[in-house]
Amino acid sequence: MSSVSRSELRTLMREVLTAQGKSLPDDESAQLSDIGFRSLDFSELALRVEDEIDEELNFDAAGLRQITTVGDVLNLLTEIQDQ
Amino acid sequence: MTRGPRPAGWANQVVDARTGASTAWSDLPPVQLPAPAAVVVPSSYDALPAVRGHAETGAELLVVAAGRLEENLRAELGTAGFNLVQGDQVEPASDPREAEEGRVWLLTSGSTGRPKRIGHTLGSLTTVSGDLPVRRWLCPYSPGTYAWWQVVTLGLGSPGQDLVVVDPAELDSWVQAAIEHGVTAASGTPTFWRQTIMSNGDDLAKVPLEQVSLGGEPVDQAVMDQLRTFFPGARISWIYASSEVGASVVVHDGRAGFPVEWLDREVPDRPRISVEGDELVIASPYHGSGLEGAVHTGDRVAVEDGRVLITGRLDRDEINVGGAKVSAGVVRSVLQAHPDVAWAAVRGRRAPLVGTMVVADVVLNSGKTDDPDALAALSKWCQERLPEYGIPRRIKLLDAIPAKETLKSDV
Repeated sequence: MSSVSRSELRTLMREVLTAQGKSLPDDESAQLSDIGFRSLDFSELALRVEDEIDEELNFDAAGLRQITTVGDVLNLLTEIQDQ
Repeated sequence: MTRGPRPAGWANQVVDARTGASTAWSDLPPVQLPAPAAVVVPSSYDALPAVRGHAETGAELLVVAAGRLEENLRAELGTAGFNLVQGDQVEPASDPREAEEGRVWLLTSGSTGRPKRIGHTLGSLTTVSGDLPVRRWLCPYSPGTYAWWQVVTLGLGSPGQDLVVVDPAELDSWVQAAIEHGVTAASGTPTFWRQTIMSNGDDLAKVPLEQVSLGGEPVDQAVMDQLRTFFPGARISWIYASSEVGASVVVHDGRAGFPVEWLDREVPDRPRISVEGDELVIASPYHGSGLEGAVHTGDRVAVEDGRVLITGRLDRDEINVGGAKVSAGVVRSVLQAHPDVAWAAVRGRRAPLVGTMVVADVVLNSGKTDDPDALAALSKWCQERLPEYGIPRRIKLLDAIPAKETLKSDV
């Protein structure tokens, strides 16, 4: 099964933000609220990942957790590809 | 047996676009069918002798394109008492019954699921009356559908209305045939017109059209404006019609939607149109058998600037993005209004956090499927015109407009 690496995830996340006229800082502890990365952006990023791996992601398996930083997003999307 | 007066259009010509042969209705070969008959035809023109036969004898008739006759439909028709007639072959009904005189059956186009049978008569199918300008109509629809019967009954029932019959399978060549045979009026779905503009735009303006009609799908302003550039002098009309309620809304002012003043008007012998919730409800004198009174159409409407717009099917049009409601039809209209877009389809796609996201398939005029600049321009276009949750976040570029035999693209 193909998967999207963490650095590829960063690229996709940057593309989502750029399309909104925003930018992605290098610092992974940056707060999503500060950079304007919102639920619609997260959803779009997930769809981009699904299109890359040609498979639907299963978010139920990830369980409930807080996603507040850039690192949280990259961690979550890396992990659930392995579920 | 001859039943009643001969149709008023008996002397009108019907032209087979494949061969160029032109025949008067009254000179078509009369066929005697074992009623109730379901006639399976390989092409649209081949269905006309059966229609002629019905006009003369009133023998119960259903017409279906061979391409639409799947195994379960075949079995269903047999059980419903129809003798299946295909060329010289007759397959007797599995459950025979008495024929119902004067009855014509339609198959719905199936955009609402599998095809249903709706009972009509030539009378209830004839919704145009009075003196009409002399015209030569293109008939591009799949035989046996409501839109096909609309054009066919116009040719059969009104003096001076000739038909040029093409098959949905041969649509690529319709423009040439229409130029050759002097077609002056044409009716098609917005998808049909978009496909034609994309594939035959260079020659389209050479068709001497005085009347351009659209129907069968939601009609947006962009496609009518485009057609206006090809046919500056033509009347451009859109028609809301279905097998269930017949042709109920006809709009000639070249604009999408119809005036809000038309709602809840009582005019004798005209359909009464109303809106319940956001559903179009119609009580029509042209209704199918057993469909008297108000019919819930399942079509969704939105009122904008004093016009009632039909945006799509109720069960598919509404997309719920994290609790915010988006009309797929409204988003589609925005995309299709972009000058580089030939066609668009919009739907909801399952997504985390918000439940559903708006995504789109788009065909560019260029036919390109890899064009990041165009995608960026489309996103910007949508950002300027739609609320944030209505902007399609994923746009897939297709190289051609997908369409089925019904000339609809299922949007």
